Amino acid sequence: MISRSQTQAPLKVQRPFYPEGSQVCHTVLLHTAGGIVGGDRLSLDIHLHPDALALITTAAAAKVYRSSGAEATQTVQIHLAAGACLEWLPQEAIVFDGAIYRQDLQVELAPGATWVGWDITRLGRTARGEKFLGGEWRSRTQVWQQGRPLWIDPQYLVGGSEMLVSPHGLAECPVIGSFALIGQTVSPELVSQIRSLFPLAAFPSRQVPSSQASSSQVGATRLMSGLLCRYRGNSTAEARQWFTQVWNLLRPIYLGRSVCMPRVWQV
Amino acid sequence: MIQTQALLQLLQLTSPALPVGAYSYSEGLETLVQSDAVSDLPSLEHWLTQELRYGTIRLEAIALLKAHEAATVDHETLSYWNDWLSALRETEEMREQSWQMGRSLTRLLLQLQSELQPIILACGEPCNFAIAFAIAAQHWQIDPRTAVLGYLHSWVANLVNAGVRLIPLGQTQGQHLLLNLYPQVEKTVDAILQQTEDELWNCNWGFAIASMNHEILYSRLFRS
Repeated sequence: MISRSQTQAPLKVQRPFYPEGSQVCHTVLLHTAGGIVGGDRLSLDIHLHPDALALITTAAAAKVYRSSGAEATQTVQIHLAAGACLEWLPQEAIVFDGAIYRQDLQVELAPGATWVGWDITRLGRTARGEKFLGGEWRSRTQVWQQGRPLWIDPQYLVGGSEMLVSPHGLAECPVIGSFALIGQTVSPELVSQIRSLFPLAAFPSRQVPSSQASSSQVGATRLMSGLLCRYRGNSTAEARQWFTQVWNLLRPIYLGRSVCMPRVWQV
Repeated sequence: MIQTQALLQLLQLTSPALPVGAYSYSEGLETLVQSDAVSDLPSLEHWLTQELRYGTIRLEAIALLKAHEAATVDHETLSYWNDWLSALRETEEMREQSWQMGRSLTRLLLQLQSELQPIILACGEPCNFAIAFAIAAQHWQIDPRTAVLGYLHSWVANLVNAGVRLIPLGQTQGQHLLLNLYPQVEKTVDAILQQTEDELWNCNWGFAIASMNHEILYSRLFRS
């Protein structure tokens, strides 16, 4: 249960609900202003008590609007006490052309705590043909345990730069996504199973006729204490679908429970 | 100007004959060549240039500089940058590569210069290669700029060599490519010497996916 909650506009925490029984608290964050504009500074501070289990998502896709120069930031600090588990599964973010955005997510894990998180970002409103020609996107995720870093992921992109077109960077794909599980030891067999959840053509190592090749590419690997999946492609729905399948596979292992879709996604 | 003894020791440290097994790693290039993403001289040059501009190798070079600075005076900071580099490794093969080469170099250093034992102990296990390199460079009085230039030279020479074997390219083409990459190596080093800590960013989606998928290549010459 939520023992203490304090919020300030435009962020709101909706009343928690318990669709899978009293042990797992589902919480929805809501951004009431509709989108993030240059100069906004959003910050979230989340603490989980020992053995607490929580799933946090957002009510809708986040929008980051074009900026006339000021950077918008979102800072999330997460502290998980011993044995706690947080699933951090926000809906995707749409970063408009010209947006200047930076998100920092820092997780502190006590022994035996687990953090599962994903992040899906679309660069430019591609449905209307918009590309990310200007602006900047930064996303830094850090997970620490007892004073030592377990995973540090500092990613940045400069709008209109060669990073977006080079095969070394995004290879002209407008959608990127990451899924990570940290705080648990993962077997190589589990990583193989995760790979099998995505069509083989998306793995750059497999030679397939170009007519059949998916233009999306994915990968999965083990981290020091957990695992990481990356997606680089064209569809937020495709990224979300794969990540949901990965979540579906992993949840019984790290939580002993099957997936329970937050109702806010089912629209 | 680098002192004669320091220069000779740098050449030893950056030589392909240094027994750390660098030649057995392609850092994802093997995947890229098999999938045709890197298929000739221009595409290999482009790939290595992007890595030097935005990739993890840039952050590795920064960690090397920080470790060089901290090696004798501040063991806690040395160990911090070693942990930082381990946590930055986003694929299992890249992490194993860095740790294996680091372990080989620290073992060698303990044999050659036993007075380094306290620093190597303070750094902690596993020690990343860039950090072990920094410890050696600092001990042999190789200044930071020269040390990081040497480090990037041996990195780029090793991957050009991997490209020559994989694509394949002629030996002369490989040597041309090395010469072409030196201006970018110098730019990268000069830029990172002025880094502040808030500039520790990279962009390497293609690299990460290539390295992750190297794990499942059907036939492999390289270990990464």
